[in-house]
Amino acid sequence: MHLFVQATIVGILFGGVYALIASGQAIIFGVTRTVNFAQAIFTILCAYLSYTLFTDFGIDPFLSILVLVPAMFAFGIGIYVLLLRRLSRSGAELGLLVLYGLGIGIQGVLDFVYKTNTQVITPSYANNSWTVAGYQIPEVRFFAFLLAVAVLGTLQLIRQRTKLGRALRATTQNPVASRLLGVDVERISAIGMGLGVAAAGAAGGVFGMILPFNGNTQYDLLSKLLSIAVLGGLLSMPGTIVAAVILGVVESVVAATISPDWSAFSFLVVLFAVLIIRPQGLFGRRLRGAL
Amino acid sequence: MVSNVARSGWAALACLAAALSLAACSTSAANSSAGSKTASGPPLVIGVSMSLSGDFATLANPALKGYKLWASTVNAKGGLLGRKVSLKIVDDASNPTQVVTNYENLITADHVNLVFGPFSSLLTVPAATIAKRFGYAFIEPSGGAPQVFALHLHNLFLAQPAPIVSSGDAFANYILSLPTAQRPRTAAYPSADDPFTQAIVGEIRQRLQAAGIKTVYSTTYAAETVDLSPVVTRLVAAKPDLLVSGTGGADAVAEVKGMVQAHFTPKFVFFTGGPNDPTFPAQVGPANAEGIFSTGDWFPQAKTAGNAAFEKAYVAKYGGTAAKIDPAAAEAFACGQLLELVAHRYGKVDNATIISALHHGTWPTVEGNLSWNADGSPRGSDIVVQWVHGQLLPVYPSAQALTKPIAKPAWAG
Repeated sequence: MHLFVQATIVGILFGGVYALIASGQAIIFGVTRTVNFAQAIFTILCAYLSYTLFTDFGIDPFLSILVLVPAMFAFGIGIYVLLLRRLSRSGAELGLLVLYGLGIGIQGVLDFVYKTNTQVITPSYANNSWTVAGYQIPEVRFFAFLLAVAVLGTLQLIRQRTKLGRALRATTQNPVASRLLGVDVERISAIGMGLGVAAAGAAGGVFGMILPFNGNTQYDLLSKLLSIAVLGGLLSMPGTIVAAVILGVVESVVAATISPDWSAFSFLVVLFAVLIIRPQGLFGRRLRGAL
Repeated sequence: MVSNVARSGWAALACLAAALSLAACSTSAANSSAGSKTASGPPLVIGVSMSLSGDFATLANPALKGYKLWASTVNAKGGLLGRKVSLKIVDDASNPTQVVTNYENLITADHVNLVFGPFSSLLTVPAATIAKRFGYAFIEPSGGAPQVFALHLHNLFLAQPAPIVSSGDAFANYILSLPTAQRPRTAAYPSADDPFTQAIVGEIRQRLQAAGIKTVYSTTYAAETVDLSPVVTRLVAAKPDLLVSGTGGADAVAEVKGMVQAHFTPKFVFFTGGPNDPTFPAQVGPANAEGIFSTGDWFPQAKTAGNAAFEKAYVAKYGGTAAKIDPAAAEAFACGQLLELVAHRYGKVDNATIISALHHGTWPTVEGNLSWNADGSPRGSDIVVQWVHGQLLPVYPSAQALTKPIAKPAWAG
């Protein structure tokens, strides 16, 4: 039982970070109808930037988020304006390919600049943990989880309580009707892209303190993000968050109690089971031609 | 008249240039090593398929440096038997299919004179088979898994003192050399799902179990896994005295971080890979590296043949310090040294001569004195290394040790 609870704690904490990255992907899909295959490399890019800010300038990774989030927000808008806007009438498939290519290109640049050695960010508190009722709570994972909750809460507030949020939701639900009602869909889509990439930036800032990473880490992360997107429903923020936590917990618990060999497979079992019962995902709605 | 003067001037300059060239040649010849002359013949082209991209790119990079360093070193001495060494390096993207294509092209299209091996056992197996088909000698730096020697290829030579499966033997010997009271009673054996690490861990486990050391946890995980927290959770629950972990690098770092966070320090910690990386202490925290064991085929202070010159040349070419040289660089460098030795002893370096020569006698390299069985597996053994006071030092067997093993201190946090 102790093993199960400890693994669940670890799974929930890292599931929060997955949720942060995946929610950005959900926002981007909502406004562009394109699955962002570059979301994982955006996270790794920010892990590297956080690494540089820490090792060269002594800036704490949590503080580096204050720099990374606005920078990635602008980067996301730039990607939309320069790449995706022009392709929006050519179908989502082309945008998907462009983002996939962008991801490979960014990895190439990262491999060139940082080499392909695995990196890890180790501030003085990186290995600290608390013992609560006999269970270990790693400080970094805990604060990363809090960060994820704070960012996701802020995103949810923006979506639910602001004009921008209403426009975002409207664009997500029906871009044509939104345009008819006077929403500047392209501007909202650009902002949505910026928010989605900024979410990856926030997660990337702390990712390197939790796990070792290099450019290739994007592929493992990407496979998880796609699984979360399918499980949670491509357009559902709550679904994405729940799916991310399920992924974190299932992988952690199965790895600890049965075998790490079965952890990824067991998540896929959950994924397939949900898809058989609800093909649109846990919280999703049917969306023809989404992929 | 002007024209004649000009012609005379040019003639004088030409004579001067010729004289300087001759002088340069004689100086170069004087500086060249035994067995080599001034590089004047056609270049000796050596084909190599390397993982410049893909999963192995990071790990293969030091081997690439080792090859290039040897080529520049031997060329600085006048080449090999009077021929400049030229490496033709092609990228296999860490892909076993691409590596086959690469060696076929190198041999049949590029007509390289010789080949050296790629990085990893995964790529060595198909590559060595191609080399065998065309009668090429296959000196290789890193393909040491059992699958490589199971091919029983007469043309294959691993430029390391011991095959991978035996690289943990020295650590098992060390544990079994301890007085019974000091030996661990329980052990855990997590390993990446990788033929290298599983073979090493399996061998150690078999020997320690036979000696009565109880296995309390054993598992495998996907080789690309970097989140080892579930494994650490199980480790902490099992509380082994000894951790023998089949790691490749990033997973070793993740395991240490997990154990530090869990405040659990086994009495003995052994990783198959990771601690040998000079950046390991920086990744886990210098104090946390202290006392961690691994095994190695090469270490900076080794008194092996040409090692001091190798380290000096490496630092001059790539910067850093000798302590930061990755052993994979030494392994690749040793491949080149073997060619030099064959050239020196036999006066030729064709493939048949190399294959025949290396199956006889002992060959001193930076990797030690190498000799091989008929299947290309080396006959020597690795050494146990441990992080001691910030240095990765050989600690066992005592004949090669620079210091005694230390007890694993508690994690520093």
